[in-house]
Amino acid sequence: MTYYEQQVRNIRAKVYPRQELSRQIVQAKEYMDRHFADRLDLDGISKRAMISKYHFLRLFKGHYGMTPHQYLTEVRLQEAKRLLGIGMPVAEVCVAVGFDSISSFKGLFKRYWAKTTSGCKKSNFRDGPGPKSSIV
Amino acid sequence: MVDDQKKALRFYTEALGFVKKRDIPMGEHSWLTVVSPEEQDGTELVLEPMGFEPARVFQQALYEAGIPLTAFRVDDVQKEYDRLKGVGVIFKMPPTQMGPTTLAVLDDTCGNYIQIFQV
Repeated sequence: MTYYEQQVRNIRAKVYPRQELSRQIVQAKEYMDRHFADRLDLDGISKRAMISKYHFLRLFKGHYGMTPHQYLTEVRLQEAKRLLGIGMPVAEVCVAVGFDSISSFKGLFKRYWAKTTSGCKKSNFRDGPGPKSSIV
Repeated sequence: MVDDQKKALRFYTEALGFVKKRDIPMGEHSWLTVVSPEEQDGTELVLEPMGFEPARVFQQALYEAGIPLTAFRVDDVQKEYDRLKGVGVIFKMPPTQMGPTTLAVLDDTCGNYIQIFQV
């Protein structure tokens, strides 16, 4: 075994000692990746992961450095950028990525991408910059 | 840092799936870059020829410790592992879960280990 492989195992044992729990968190994150457009909440996601709500919240943050809600919002805003880039109208994008309110969608979008939804349609933004801030 | 640019170009394009972007003659070597096929105007990876002795020492030390020179994000490590094994790529570390990430380390045949990972 190489030095590097040994280091990977050491870090895993120290930081992520319970692999089964890590797998459950990863699966929950993958579920959000697939179902971001649905109405998702912490109760439902933690129940699916078979972990109590607040324990799930702590574990998720420990694994991904953000809350499940922050992660879900990021996924939605990434997809929104893609859809706007191919010309989908703002109102349709808002619904397609799972937001209820168009005004809060526009506000979040601007805060995350430092650009308005109308300013990033089609070719304006296809290879544009990365996010400007994390979602609070 | 690669020991042979032609060999490196073959490996990075034919095995790993990058696309050649620039190949500008620079005397003995060339300014040789590859890019992701999904983002051909994005970040370019320079296949830098090994021409500086201290760098060779550094590269060898990393290699002997099994430490990857760099890492590439992929969507599915297990799928890439299977595909790359199928075309003869040698892995130093099989897909290994570490918390939210899965890692694997391959040999680029040019003096480096490369890590692929998914988050």
